[in-house]
Amino acid sequence: MTPQLVPQQHVDLGATNPSGAQSGSSHLSEEQIDQLLARRDGAIAPDLALAEAHLLVCEYCAAELASLRDSLTLFREASDAYAESQFLHQANLIRPRWTAPSRRPALSHLFAPAYWFAAAAMLMTTFLPMQVLHRHTLPTPQPAAVASVTASPVQSDEALLNDVNSEISASVPSSMQALADPTTDESTVSTDTNETTSTQRKN
Amino acid sequence: MAPEEIQNFSATDLTLGGVPLDDRASGEKYRSTPLDDLDGIVALYQPRVFRFLLATLRDRDSAETLTQETFLRAWNARDSFREDCSIATWLIRIALNLARDHTRTGRFRFWKRVSASAVDVSDVATSIPNHECSAEAQLIAQQQVAGIWKTVDGLSERQRSIFLLRFLEEMEIAEIATVTGLPVSTVKSHLYRALAIVRTQHNPPPRDLGSRRSNSHSLTSKETL
Repeated sequence: MTPQLVPQQHVDLGATNPSGAQSGSSHLSEEQIDQLLARRDGAIAPDLALAEAHLLVCEYCAAELASLRDSLTLFREASDAYAESQFLHQANLIRPRWTAPSRRPALSHLFAPAYWFAAAAMLMTTFLPMQVLHRHTLPTPQPAAVASVTASPVQSDEALLNDVNSEISASVPSSMQALADPTTDESTVSTDTNETTSTQRKN
Repeated sequence: MAPEEIQNFSATDLTLGGVPLDDRASGEKYRSTPLDDLDGIVALYQPRVFRFLLATLRDRDSAETLTQETFLRAWNARDSFREDCSIATWLIRIALNLARDHTRTGRFRFWKRVSASAVDVSDVATSIPNHECSAEAQLIAQQQVAGIWKTVDGLSERQRSIFLLRFLEEMEIAEIATVTGLPVSTVKSHLYRALAIVRTQHNPPPRDLGSRRSNSHSLTSKETL
């Protein structure tokens, strides 16, 4: 981007240039370059008229000034594009905060039913499953027991009654059966023990 | 005050030095200002204020925060806007004052070093709009932008502000003087010094021009007027 121009012959601005060009110099001074840069494009600056006239005849100064202007334009464009991209990135977070106060009531009025419906839906979706879960979790053991009892009430009742009847009809209760005829049990036991002792002696 | 007087009393009866506190009491409407339409103002100027603050602070989060703060201040002080300058100039002046206060705190300087939202110069350089030029030209342009971006960061606070107002916001010298509250001559001096630094560091002369540039003087970013 640097000008690749052959230096031209000197153009003496010093004698007539009121803006500070050096006497005997061929090109614009740094101050003049800065003044030309600082001035907005198209702006009229009478004190820079001679410098502008010099630009028309000096390709070297014109190219240098153009190069500087191009660099500054690139800087502005790049900064602008970057800021725009960053701004768009943040726009979703920034813009809702600056909703006009005058529009808020209108919007809230228009969407009030929607807000209420959304709130009700949120409550339903939040608390309804909890209630259902609560209902299903707490009474779980009791229905199971009841179900086991009430699954065949007739059969269980009959079984229980049969047991009671058999106990009553028996002459000796089952728990006292061992005492009812002690001799038979003892003889069998004694014979068994005798047989075992005899076999042990034989061995 | 009698009970019936208390019942009939309203806020419109309050006065301070004979002036009603509530303007409705005087029967006059509120003085409308161009800033009453905050939505329109924000939509129009928020990108510009954000751009200036981002280039000044070099930190996205800080720029975003101060952008919001700028419009909040503007809204609160809308009655003091006398329309002696444009709204953009007034907003940029508020933003500049906020940025100045913000950057003077040690907290900002500390967090700027480690902030994840700090602007990366390479991101800025690669944001150049594609003008369908060659890859080499793109690379040169990116280097130039990166160089200027770095150099501007090294300028003094006042030089940087004025440089950005002129070459980023494209303000006139008189507008910059209004924004900064400085005389026009001072603005010009700062601008020329900033330009001299940028020019010497990033657009060196293609050959030795010492003879014709002999009247230039060495400037540093720390120079003050």
